[in-house]
Amino acid sequence: MASLAATFGRGAMTNGWTDVANADVILVMGGNPAENHPVGFRFTMEAKRNRRARIVTVDPRFNRTAAVSDQYVPIRAGSDIAFLGGLLNHALANDLYHREYVASHTNATFIVGEGYGFENGLFSGWDGESETYDTSGWGYELDGDGYARVDETMEHPRSVFQLMREHYSRYTPQMVSDICGCTAEEFTRAAEVICSTGAAGRAGTILYALGWTQHSHSVQLIHTAAMLQLILGNIGMPGGGINAQRGHSNIQGATDLGAWNALPGYLKIPRAHQASLQDYIDENSPRPLRPNSMNYWSNTNRFMVSLLKAWYGDNAAAANGFGYDNLPKPDADDDYSWATIFERAYTGDLEGLVSFGMNPVAGGPNTPKMLEGLANLRWLIVAECFETETAAFWKAADAAGEYYPGARAAADIDTEVFLLPAACFAEKDGTMVNSSRWLQWKHAALDPPGDAWKDQDIIAALFLRLQELYREEGGAGADSLLNMTWDWRNPRSPDLAEVSREINGRGPDGRQISSFAELADDGSTVCGNWLYAGSFTEDGNMAARRGQEDPTGLGLYAGWAWNWPLNRRILYNRASADAEGNPWDPERAPIRWDGSTWVGDVPDYGATAAPDAFGAFIMVPEGVARLYTVDSFAEGPLPEHYEPVESPVDNLLHPEVGSNPAARTMMSAIDSLGSPEDYPYIGTTYRLTEHYHYWTKNVDGPSELQPHFFVEVPEELAAEKAIANGDTVRVWSARGEVRGQAMVTRRMRGLQVDGRTIYQVGLPIHWGFLGRVTGPLVNNLSPSVFDPNSGTPEYKGFLVNIEKIA
Amino acid sequence: MASDGRVTRFNAAERIVHWVVALAFGYAALTGLALWSPRLFWLAAVFGGGTTARAWHPWGGVVFTAALAVMFLKWARAMRIDADDRTWLARAHRYAVHDHAGLPEPGRFNAGQKALFWLQSAAAALLLASGVVLWLPESMPRALREASILIHPLAAVASIGGIILHVYMGTAAVPKALRGMIQGWVTPRWAALHHPKWYREIRK
Amino acid sequence: MSQDLQAVSATPGGAAGSDVDTTSLAKLIDTSTCIGCKACEAACQEWNDHPVTLAPFDGTYQSQPDLSHSFWNLIKFNETEIDGAPAWLMSKYQCMHCIDPGCLRSCPAPGAIVQHANGIVDFVPEQCIGCGYCMTGCPFDVPKFDPYTKKVYKCTLCTDRVSVGLEPACIKACPTSCLTFGARDELIQIAEERAETLREDGFQAAGVYNPAGVGGTQVLYVLRHADQPEAYGLPADPQIPWTVTLWKGPLKWLGNLVFVGGVLGAFLHYVRYGPQAEEAPEDARDGE
Repeated sequence: MASLAATFGRGAMTNGWTDVANADVILVMGGNPAENHPVGFRFTMEAKRNRRARIVTVDPRFNRTAAVSDQYVPIRAGSDIAFLGGLLNHALANDLYHREYVASHTNATFIVGEGYGFENGLFSGWDGESETYDTSGWGYELDGDGYARVDETMEHPRSVFQLMREHYSRYTPQMVSDICGCTAEEFTRAAEVICSTGAAGRAGTILYALGWTQHSHSVQLIHTAAMLQLILGNIGMPGGGINAQRGHSNIQGATDLGAWNALPGYLKIPRAHQASLQDYIDENSPRPLRPNSMNYWSNTNRFMVSLLKAWYGDNAAAANGFGYDNLPKPDADDDYSWATIFERAYTGDLEGLVSFGMNPVAGGPNTPKMLEGLANLRWLIVAECFETETAAFWKAADAAGEYYPGARAAADIDTEVFLLPAACFAEKDGTMVNSSRWLQWKHAALDPPGDAWKDQDIIAALFLRLQELYREEGGAGADSLLNMTWDWRNPRSPDLAEVSREINGRGPDGRQISSFAELADDGSTVCGNWLYAGSFTEDGNMAARRGQEDPTGLGLYAGWAWNWPLNRRILYNRASADAEGNPWDPERAPIRWDGSTWVGDVPDYGATAAPDAFGAFIMVPEGVARLYTVDSFAEGPLPEHYEPVESPVDNLLHPEVGSNPAARTMMSAIDSLGSPEDYPYIGTTYRLTEHYHYWTKNVDGPSELQPHFFVEVPEELAAEKAIANGDTVRVWSARGEVRGQAMVTRRMRGLQVDGRTIYQVGLPIHWGFLGRVTGPLVNNLSPSVFDPNSGTPEYKGFLVNIEKIA
Repeated sequence: MASDGRVTRFNAAERIVHWVVALAFGYAALTGLALWSPRLFWLAAVFGGGTTARAWHPWGGVVFTAALAVMFLKWARAMRIDADDRTWLARAHRYAVHDHAGLPEPGRFNAGQKALFWLQSAAAALLLASGVVLWLPESMPRALREASILIHPLAAVASIGGIILHVYMGTAAVPKALRGMIQGWVTPRWAALHHPKWYREIRK
Repeated sequence: MSQDLQAVSATPGGAAGSDVDTTSLAKLIDTSTCIGCKACEAACQEWNDHPVTLAPFDGTYQSQPDLSHSFWNLIKFNETEIDGAPAWLMSKYQCMHCIDPGCLRSCPAPGAIVQHANGIVDFVPEQCIGCGYCMTGCPFDVPKFDPYTKKVYKCTLCTDRVSVGLEPACIKACPTSCLTFGARDELIQIAEERAETLREDGFQAAGVYNPAGVGGTQVLYVLRHADQPEAYGLPADPQIPWTVTLWKGPLKWLGNLVFVGGVLGAFLHYVRYGPQAEEAPEDARDGE
């Protein structure tokens, strides 16, 4: 999500599930929607049935998506940027890109300053000591007014277009083949289909998921895909876009409402040096880089003040910076992402942990480290509908000692564990936000069983008790809690409709607002998340709507639930038309300019703003989408292929810089990395249709559909190792091991990488030492290696070895 | 030969074995006929309903074939078919119309009885083999099941056909023959008429 | 015979398949858009309230090695190669609801297998005697014996749902709409059109699986490779076994002739010729 926000302005699926039915070409890569998003995949099948769309699947495994695709291309886990770079090169070298779109809607015309350079895998400004870039040399050339200089012809040698063309000219079909392991012919055949969407009348989409986000270079990888879709003119188009399929039913909602480094609505978290609200607003209100840039983040002040009013109510006033002081403010270089939390737990620098809707022992990398980290805590609170491996981490030595020889026995663990039984999804109402950014209200199907409480009741009880303790006893940061409003009708069990109303926000007259445009910076408006403004208006709960009308015939279904922002179904839909407002494809125009107003979908633009008034990408200071990014990533401004941190081969583009130089690699005593000599095979983890993460192994039905952990082994490798189908094998890495039965298959083949045959081993997650069915935790194997931008671990592509044991 | 003018036709062991075979056959045949034709499914009701008939019919078959095996061991030697028997069988139509002229004299068993013995033994072997397959269809390969579904009724038809004849012969057609199988004895003159060669042998 | 039944096992009345009209219902399985998600399996298990069976690992993605008495809907995962490229052919396997059902033909228990007027072939456990003949009569190996109840079970095409106007549970659960349910003649047309599209898209052997050997089926498949149905785990040319046909046909008449002819013949013989003489004449007592 960090990547899409940097490229386009918003971190979300650009289009939506229903829109995939409008595609002519569907590239499935870094995801396996037939298995992991089967319900959303219906729209891929509709595209196939009704539009005869071509589906190309690129994946290490011939999976269930590949089974219904028109073409399958095998790829080595972790080499996706090389493949996508090859596609960029294919489109640019063969003139298949959408030239007018690129010139109108991207920063390809922008001229970059002379400080930019790229050599041997590193961009200019690299500091090997701190392992960071000094980005000051990468900026655009500015004119006297502070606007970027552009060259509409894109001929200028330092135009983004020319830099990009040169950068990716190295990604020839042969280079792609040598790095990725598919043949050059397979690549070219796929490239021809995918790049056919560069024509104005054709639209292609990309479906991806955790197969792209779980790399040490994942944000760069997704940016490469976004660049491809931009040069093919597929962003803002029905049937186009880059569609991130989220890994949980409400993960989009979870990020929309904040993370350790973001407040609701992707407002950045205040940092310690931003002492006043004004400092914060100044730093987070970018200056426009083009005269026609709408630059929507210049409204940060309205969003932030309204949020502070929602949280601190009467305690938020102009005089006290609307309670800005109540917010926690980490230092500029502080990090509280997953990697750091568990590093601190491991080193004994964390006192306690609250784990809500998470199972870090199962879901985090390097399980032995997770177990040791939790054993160092003083207390652990787990709220769950099942006893998870996290709540039962102290049983690991007993229940799965064969995998955890170093784990402490229960008697040697002092952590006090509280397992709070919580309601499951069907026992709660409220909204879930899907990948399409739809807020969908659901009703509780039944009451939580036994002593289980709803989440909000658990949180309310904790909040009220802590507030009371701080009121009575005081303590550091007491004001943050004491100043907070908690004026729900039932403070012990807030009604989620009431919470939703606050998130939507209300105006000076106390009435529900219907757009974030109504928000003010004077404290007269209240809004829990500006992005959700309009979701619960005076007309009621928009998320509960179930209208099935589709007047455009494009599958927008504007009356179904509610789509952030402002019920807009296709993001950046202004880019579906040229500079004059004429749609690229009259058959598939989400919005049209009728001379005075935009009709169709909710325009991602001023509703009555003339086509030439603003750039099409209103959330970024450029006003156009960024092919080239300056200040967004830990890496360089143009994505480059880097190997996974554990890789069996050198980086063929620049052997001296193998993996992502900016990647975050934990190097505590328990975080060893393996060498290709000891671990010659690539392990990659994935999910199966039959199960949902580590939950459904507790449930009869899904357990029946897939009771067993297994290891997918290519037929040739199995022959080398004398492994027969069904044999028990041991797979081990520098971190740990798993044991299970082998599924010997032709669906994974040996790949020719740089003249060698490289094998990959498939490792489905889903099992653990508790449940209706049990099995090893696959993250025994994975390394504590993270993308530096998103903090996501590298689960796809690490080194393992394998042998037959029975 | 008994002094009281009675000739022992079948000893107690032979009679018991025969009647065990007969009863088991009767049970298996009647329950089998229930499954043979919907028109005869009412027979299943007589024997406890369809499910019970299906469940016990195989056990009836097991008793039948086991007892028949004993009978086989007892009589197989006596049932050998010789040249006289072949002549007898070729002229059996004369026997049927009571014209015994030119028929070789039968021994303890006439050639018709011998033929029946071998027919029933062969049918029983087929019934047993195919019956086991039909008994446990869930663990039998399809080819065997498909063959058995035809062989079993085919063998049953032959067997029941033979038994119809046997019952007629043993009751109505040959007076006092039944007494030989129930009480075990026949009169010397009965023996002399129906099994003269055998009668001469036992008289020695 | 209830009037919504057109055929009942071991019962006089219309022969199976004699009267199937265009109101007959069918299920269409478009394997080219089946993603093997097993939603149909889960829905079937849930709706029929089946117990959970954790099958041993067999080295495939299949939930169970085969259909069972408590698992009526199984997606077969057939890993193969076609024209040198890997192919993973997924096909949902269940009762085919044949127009001429071999199970019904071979069933000896009156009313244990019925064919409804809408074509659904259903087993009636109350009437089933557990003989297992249906397992042999079915060329698709669908009916399965339950060793506990000693009866045979299979997919009912959710006749309980269909009879109140709902679609079968598997259809309801299918996320990609590769499963559809409706009037059979309409579905055959849709299937043929879909196959035509696939042929135009380069699958020259695409076609519809609706085997004539059992009079056609009420479960229809669109196959990309209709020339090799075995690759999908479907029999190439399913026929009711000839032994079953012979047994239920000519052999029945032969047998009836033997039984009736035997009894009648014996009686007539007795009437015409009477018994054999009982004993030899007195003078024969001493023999020669």
